[in-house]
Amino acid sequence: MTESYFDWTRRLFDRARIFDKPEALRGVRVLELTTLVLGPTTADFLGEFGAEVIKVELPPGGDTMRYVTPEATFWQNASLGFFPENHSKYHIGIDLHAPEGKELFKRLATKSDILVENFRAGTLDKWEIGYRQLRQVNPRLLYIADSGFGQWGPFSQGRASYDAVAQTVSGMIGVTGFPGRPPILCGIFIGDWFGGLMGSIAALVALYYRNKTGEGQFIDLAQSEGLIRSLDWTWVRHGLTGQDRGPVGNCDEAVVPADILACRDGFVALAAGRDAEFRGLCQAMGNPELAKLPRFATLEARQVPANAEVVLGVIRKWASDKTRAELEGLGEKHGFACARVATAEDRYQDEHLRERGTVWSYEDPLYGPMVEHGPAPKLSATPGRIRWSAKPVGWHNAEVLTRLLGLAPSRIKELEEKKVVGKWADRPGAKPPSEWLQAQEQR
Amino acid sequence: MTDLASWPRFAKELTNPALAHEKPEALEDLRVLDVSTGNFAALFASSILAEFGAEVIRIEPPGGDVARLFSPEGVRHRGTGLAYLVEARNKRHITLNLETPPGRNLFVRLARHVDVVIESARPGQMDAWGIGYRQLSESNPRVIYLAFSTHGQFGPRAASAIPDYDITNQALSGAPYTTGEPVGEGPPESSVPTKQGNWMAWYVGGGWGAFAVMAALVWRWTSGRGQFIDCSPAEAEMRFTDYDVHWYHSHKRIRERVGALNTCVFPYTLIKTKDSYSFIAGFSDINWTGLTNIMGRTDLKERFPTTKDRIRESKMLHQELEAWAAELASQEILDRVQDYVANKRGPGTVATARLNRPAETLAETHWWERGVFERIEDPDYGELLLQAPPWKMSRTPPRIKWACRPVGADNEAVYLRYLGLGKERLRALTDEGVL
Repeated sequence: MTESYFDWTRRLFDRARIFDKPEALRGVRVLELTTLVLGPTTADFLGEFGAEVIKVELPPGGDTMRYVTPEATFWQNASLGFFPENHSKYHIGIDLHAPEGKELFKRLATKSDILVENFRAGTLDKWEIGYRQLRQVNPRLLYIADSGFGQWGPFSQGRASYDAVAQTVSGMIGVTGFPGRPPILCGIFIGDWFGGLMGSIAALVALYYRNKTGEGQFIDLAQSEGLIRSLDWTWVRHGLTGQDRGPVGNCDEAVVPADILACRDGFVALAAGRDAEFRGLCQAMGNPELAKLPRFATLEARQVPANAEVVLGVIRKWASDKTRAELEGLGEKHGFACARVATAEDRYQDEHLRERGTVWSYEDPLYGPMVEHGPAPKLSATPGRIRWSAKPVGWHNAEVLTRLLGLAPSRIKELEEKKVVGKWADRPGAKPPSEWLQAQEQR
Repeated sequence: MTDLASWPRFAKELTNPALAHEKPEALEDLRVLDVSTGNFAALFASSILAEFGAEVIRIEPPGGDVARLFSPEGVRHRGTGLAYLVEARNKRHITLNLETPPGRNLFVRLARHVDVVIESARPGQMDAWGIGYRQLSESNPRVIYLAFSTHGQFGPRAASAIPDYDITNQALSGAPYTTGEPVGEGPPESSVPTKQGNWMAWYVGGGWGAFAVMAALVWRWTSGRGQFIDCSPAEAEMRFTDYDVHWYHSHKRIRERVGALNTCVFPYTLIKTKDSYSFIAGFSDINWTGLTNIMGRTDLKERFPTTKDRIRESKMLHQELEAWAAELASQEILDRVQDYVANKRGPGTVATARLNRPAETLAETHWWERGVFERIEDPDYGELLLQAPPWKMSRTPPRIKWACRPVGADNEAVYLRYLGLGKERLRALTDEGVL
């Protein structure tokens, strides 16, 4: 007798067996010289699937993201904003303005497969540790330059960028929110995260090609261009009809009905694009006749804005006195999509997400029990994983410089005295937890 | 010695997408079957592989996939909806009816020839039909099988029958809960959790799917083995929700909506200007100095020297920024910022940008110069304006070859090449409702 599908998948993807399985990117070394979110995520995603990531920061302050934390509140002397894009990395502090610092960096790049940086275009070239210089010492290197506007083109030189700049210039904010209201930012750093994902995809594609040919290459990834790519039918419609796109609130102009609905205990999202799903929804609403009217029977008819408005009005009214769980249950029963607008608490407490490792609890040697979001896609043979949390500036200096470059402890000490190699500043965000510092003092 | 001025020239020579067609394709040895239905996460995943050179064969049910109908205001261009015209790029299009046993048999035979299979059926459906990963991997152990679904292939909710849509994926991800105006800031109907206007969760899901396929391919290079990839677009975007879950873990705090502000820093915000809105950021202490210098308001720097001060008073400070911007057009703000930063008139860096509607983005020469948009001359669908692949790469740049193909347009070529089926046989299969 064949094992049932869900018993089989449960066994195949078992969270408890992840560390017994190999890692897809074993043997791939990533050297990271990045700050904030875009660059760190590019490297982090590769690290989740097995690459060894060495994060170089300028001591003693390090990455700016060490100081971006909700309501400016630090936790165990660390920024909560710094953890989600810096897992399982080796943290070293090198002053790249110093000639000896540049030399150390070059030697690390010689031993790396992938380099990720997100300085303003041309900065590392000016410092003589950019692609032009590094490809001389390592022709197999895959060099990813993340930025806001790219490495060339009118906006590329000297213009600072952040996630929200990308949201703004791409047109994304222009198609989000409610008409007639002031514009809003996406609640998450979406331009950074999506750009980081695009950057890491290019790294893997280049790695695949390098396996075949031995050739390295240079990759220019602009986060604004990532978001432009994600704006689905916006551009093709402009090309064909000249129509511009603006915000329409929470409904979907192409999938009708789809909306976010206020209900008794919160909000749910609902969608029923296919005609059979819409019939199921009308059944659930106790109004099966609605689905038979020519104005609503087909998706094409429902997409006409006047018809969509009527349908959405009926749905909003119907949903308003139901609970989230009731509506989700009706979706299950009648075959349309319905799901809660989840809060952080909803996700934290969700057994389903825990079992899947999407909410990942683990114990970090320095910070203790941690709960974060784990790897997104689940791979049966080479699952992604979190090994440890982000660490203070320069935490792994000795480990990395000795293991990879053969520097003796006395040499490292010498470089520290010259301020070429450095550790954390005495400042929340950069330094270890107070308990750890106290324990060090007592030793 | 190298000089900075020549860097952009060098970078452009290396990566100019105008020369993409002169260069090799990274994935030209790769073959992909995309049998997804009505799912733009799956379609974006196969688009990425196709942009990098994979041969992607799209399988649609006879009559075409419902994804061809997802289009604003019911607009069709030569029979196909607008969204599909964007994500059909470089793909061959064949038809096959998986509801029939002969259709499923043909699918299994096709799958023997491919490296990657992408689907978006209800979890367990393909397996029940005998054409899921369990069965396909028996005859093709190297196959990489990517399945998209909202709740995933395992776990307590995996058997859920709900179809996969962007809006429900966004909702579950947690992003909309933290996006939008707080209660009381505007009318009640718009002071609510707000989704991204584009299909963000589907695009994030597709991106993660392609990432996972590439990671699996790198591993297959040494192991010779394929694997099963379970990708939920909801979880894909969830991975992007910053520190939300950690903050709940550490402080039992739930991140709430803050409109145009940010919970961690100020200013990192949208402000009203004389002619539009602008985003403006100068949130670290030194950059705040820069911004207050540009504004000629060093008093603000003195009164609110730390991030904590600025977050606490962000509403008031936001009004101060808007009072300053009221007399300035967004372009003037950008000019002042660039003058300050480029000529190093003081410490700190400020970032700003005018809020664009898409038509305004299209009007900027920067993107056109960088090949971000392309006007494609498609043999079947005519001239189309499309967003190009976002990567500039020196050796193996991605590219668009064609935009879309009509339903079943490649049946003859594909079935002949892989299964040796001639015209007569195809006609019979079409009559039987298999193709």
